[in-house]
Amino acid sequence: MTDRIETHLGTTEEGQMAQEQANTSTTASDVAATSAEDSDAVRTSGGDPDDLNPVIIELENVNVYYDDFHAVSDVSLPIREREITAFIGPSGCGKSTVLRCLNRMNDLIESARVEGGVNYHGVDLYGPNIDPVEVRRRIGMVFQKPNPFPKSIYDNVAFGPKIAGYKGNMDDLVEQSLDRAALWDEVKDKLDESAYALSGGQQQRLCIARAIATSPDVVLMDEPASALDPIATLRIEELMYELKAEYTIIIVTHNMQQAGRVSDRTAFFSVDIQDDGERTGRLVEFSETATLFTTPEKQETEDYITGRFG
Amino acid sequence: MTHHEIEPRHHFDDELDEIRASLVDLGTMVLANIRWAGEVVVENRLDEVDAVVEADAPINEKYQELEEKVFHILALQQPVASDLRFLVVASRILYEMERSGDLAVNIVNSLERIHGIPADTTLQSSLDRLSAASATMFARGIEAIATMDPEIGLHAEAEDEETDNLTSDLFTAVTARQDELGLEASVALFYMGRFFERIADHGVNIAQNITFAVTAQFPEDY
Ligand SMILES: Nc1ncnc2c1ncn2[C@@H]1O[C@H](COP(=O)(O)OP(=O)(O)OP(=O)(O)O)[C@@H](O)[C@H]1O
Ligand SMILES: [Mg+2]
Repeated sequence: MTDRIETHLGTTEEGQMAQEQANTSTTASDVAATSAEDSDAVRTSGGDPDDLNPVIIELENVNVYYDDFHAVSDVSLPIREREITAFIGPSGCGKSTVLRCLNRMNDLIESARVEGGVNYHGVDLYGPNIDPVEVRRRIGMVFQKPNPFPKSIYDNVAFGPKIAGYKGNMDDLVEQSLDRAALWDEVKDKLDESAYALSGGQQQRLCIARAIATSPDVVLMDEPASALDPIATLRIEELMYELKAEYTIIIVTHNMQQAGRVSDRTAFFSVDIQDDGERTGRLVEFSETATLFTTPEKQETEDYITGRFG
Repeated sequence: MTHHEIEPRHHFDDELDEIRASLVDLGTMVLANIRWAGEVVVENRLDEVDAVVEADAPINEKYQELEEKVFHILALQQPVASDLRFLVVASRILYEMERSGDLAVNIVNSLERIHGIPADTTLQSSLDRLSAASATMFARGIEAIATMDPEIGLHAEAEDEETDNLTSDLFTAVTARQDELGLEASVALFYMGRFFERIADHGVNIAQNITFAVTAQFPEDY
């Protein structure tokens, strides 16, 4: 656990040094070590509602711009370890935009600019010495449309570890990842066949296997089930529930019922329409899912989840 | 390496099983208090009245905890068909159980109000039989939950006639001794009879609700 977290996010020499300094004097590893202990405490003591899992990612006043367009305004929220956090809200409120901030996927969009803090185990992901590729290895992503590579099932899973220089037994790693994604039994006899021969639901589980093959500790999912039939959807949800024993999961979903079924906490975003017609996303309410769906704090949330608005 | 396949809604099924197990647990707690209240009354154990009353507190706590759980599952899991029937029924059963727990408290409180049952073998044995029959009917309800057997609910109403008869017997016995007993004791005894009878009715309702959860149909004279 600890060595997983302590893996350096920076790969430049400078980054290494900064990280080593951090390790000897302070923050990153301390935070990491404490969170590991805390999470054990939480799991053994159980029951007490005040026992919260440690925060793994903290968003602090995050603003996102696409060129001049202010897409998301001032989002602050903690993501807790080994929980499922759901982002819900009307189209265009910035759910995907915020999700992409969490592993620097927005870097790949030229016009995008992120302001504010995104701290992962206390380390600012947008700090100067952070390697975004390493960030994406620790914080993996699964997209709305299953997007396996045009390669064999085996290669889809092995690819990430291979380029990351994985030295262990690749066959074992592939098997383990496919099994964690609850796909092994369905594909074990056709690992060499093209990933495209799988059904949509199987492809999505393959993408999940691929995401977890590089041992991330956070997995981001952007509407992972919206292209699937209801049973395949419930299978993915069940899988998420299993995976949260080991991973922190953040899911964007259009399906409020899905947020209710799978998540521990829910963030509801909405859009404000400015005088000039600009539509800026904003976090309205962030609560335990059971609270948000039974006694939401804000009228705006109530209106949205009861289908009166949005 | 051991492998696994994924069943959709496995975790939801676990939650439903947990609710059912908890209903049986709560029912068993209530039943224990009903039986205890019966013994306290029949054997005039006035010194145990407070203990019976106190034993209702954990029942209420568990009741509230379960109500909240069921409420959350209804809000978050969108149950349909048999799952929906079961959860709606679970909520009703919780109410029946909580009320039954209160009735056990009412029974011992009535005993305290009249400083014990008059030493009268007819009355005592009448109460003894009634309290036993009432506890048995309540136990039928718990049995129905534990087995999800719809048959129990189908026969519950008929089976409950015994409690109704025993309640009438008690009323007859009290009426016959009304003058010796005095107004206060007579009224208290009537109430006790009524409380035991109502506990049995709750047992019937519980079993009939299970019939509905399983078959989607209520026993006819529900
Ligand atoms: N690459 C981009 N370039 C410019 N604007 C963008 C880009 N991506 C998103 N936006 C804008 O940012 C705002 C937020 O978009 P985002 O995709 O994050 O919303 P969302 O909540 O995920 O919506 P949906 O539910 O439809 O997926 C929208 O107004 C969108 O048009
Ligand atoms: Mg989106």
